[in-house]
Amino acid sequence: MTADLTELFEQYYGSLVRMLYRRTGDRDRAEDLAQETFARAVAAPPNNPRPWLFAVALNLVREDGRRALRQGRRLELLRTEDRAEQGPENDYERNERSAAVRAALALLNERDREALLLKAEGFNYEEIAATLGLSKGAVGTTLARARRRLVEAYQSEGRGKNVAS
Amino acid sequence: MSHLDEGTLHALLDGELDVTEAREVQSHLGTCVACGSRLQEVKQFLAEADRLVGALEMPAGAAAPPPPPPRESAPPFRRQLREPETWEETPVLLVLDNAEALARRRRWFRALGWAAMIAVVIGGGRGLMSLVGQHGSLPPARDITTATRSVPPAVASPEETARPDQPVAQVVTPPARTLAKNRTLAAKTTPQPKAVDAAKAAMVDSAREPADSVADEFTDSAPPETQTLAAAGSMAESVSTDSVARDTQAKDTARPEDDLATRRAAAQALAELDRQRRRERAAAATAALQPPAPARAEAPAATEPPPSRTPEQRSQVYLRIGLDEAVKQLGSPVHVIEGMTPELIGLTYGRLVAGADPNRPVVRVVYVDSRGRMILLDQQRLRTGQAPSAAEGSLRWSVGDVMLYLRGEPGPDVLRSLQRRVR
Repeated sequence: MTADLTELFEQYYGSLVRMLYRRTGDRDRAEDLAQETFARAVAAPPNNPRPWLFAVALNLVREDGRRALRQGRRLELLRTEDRAEQGPENDYERNERSAAVRAALALLNERDREALLLKAEGFNYEEIAATLGLSKGAVGTTLARARRRLVEAYQSEGRGKNVAS
Repeated sequence: MSHLDEGTLHALLDGELDVTEAREVQSHLGTCVACGSRLQEVKQFLAEADRLVGALEMPAGAAAPPPPPPRESAPPFRRQLREPETWEETPVLLVLDNAEALARRRRWFRALGWAAMIAVVIGGGRGLMSLVGQHGSLPPARDITTATRSVPPAVASPEETARPDQPVAQVVTPPARTLAKNRTLAAKTTPQPKAVDAAKAAMVDSAREPADSVADEFTDSAPPETQTLAAAGSMAESVSTDSVARDTQAKDTARPEDDLATRRAAAQALAELDRQRRRERAAAATAALQPPAPARAEAPAATEPPPSRTPEQRSQVYLRIGLDEAVKQLGSPVHVIEGMTPELIGLTYGRLVAGADPNRPVVRVVYVDSRGRMILLDQQRLRTGQAPSAAEGSLRWSVGDVMLYLRGEPGPDVLRSLQRRVR
């Protein structure tokens, strides 16, 4: 049964853009990729929309990342454009922290990172498994590793910074 | 049971273990200090990781999604008819494709029926007094006199209806009736013959169970005031629906006893080892056992079968007419398929060819064959001297001054054989 695409759009667009933003660190790119994802959904309406949309979006990010790497662009996760965008000093701390989180996230392997971002969008294990092509039983282990690594990477980066300054 | 792996602890905290698994894990946690303290640690990692990911919020202004794209999915009717190859053009969509909107309009219509009925009763001269009297709370004497003065169907003074302490409105409790009465008063105050006529027409029509297209047309052409009234009526209905929905929801949230027992057992076991610390841990671990059902329930709700449609809707006829009327509209005898009985004859919008007379509607003769497939024979008068040369074998051809177009759900071969029987 073909799902109503307008409904899909209203239901998942926000979540998809947020996930893509967290993944890429670039709002414009996140929006472009979300649009592209929905364009593909129009061409081939999915049966199980949420995992399908997020899987397509994550594939697009990977393709895009590889292309960017070939062109010698800097790894997208390290970009901190929101610092420039938001400007005021009172946001400085917040921006510092998102930059640190993004850097920590960049240290994770692809699958761990994606599982973590999907979980943050409210996916259950079954949906994460369907999106990433894992078995449901492996999701707990993947998330366990991802969470631990993220926290450790973030903390060690903080320590590194303190030592440097 | 060997020690719990970290993945299982995460699954426990994420509420992803089923009841049996959760029970095993809990009983192990109740006895194993090592796993107990690891659960604490895992909880911290989980909370911290969630906090970190949550910190990656988009810059302000990015939250609102852009307007949704144009509706891409065709409504059921169009999808159904577009499939056959013989549809050279999409028929104009005349009916609502939104079932909800349709239902809402039906409700308005029903409210109007009430309004019309009461309007007629009061117009007949017995009026407000009898209605008020039935419910035992008589209005002050002054009101009675004004009410009697207005018989026969006279126009009441505007200030009388505008008065907030109008007793009539307070007497009858069902919202539709109250509103209907207000409506009646308003109609009497400001002479609006159109509205009253329309309301009467609505009453007559509602007795006959009219086609939806007629109902829609009526609702659209009704004066704004009437629509407001109807909207209020439908609001009252939706309020009661909401409360029913809340009740249902409340029932759904009840937890199985099983789960409760598991939680109690786990809590007690942990309390034995270290009362304060263990109790906290048990609460946290079991709190994570919320069944994930509500999140999953949303998915299958979208697959409701579309409501069944009347033949008029299926054939997209905005007005059903008889043969005589069809002859009048077309200005010449109506063509039919020999040996088949029409399901209905109706009018539809559009022009069959460029040379068609724009002042005349398309007469659509609708057939349903033995296999339930719909066949439409459209006909429209051409402007004088506009007869186009039809290609051989085309299902669009002209006879005299009339353009004919045969199409439908059967394949082109079937339609061609039917074309030979058009008289």
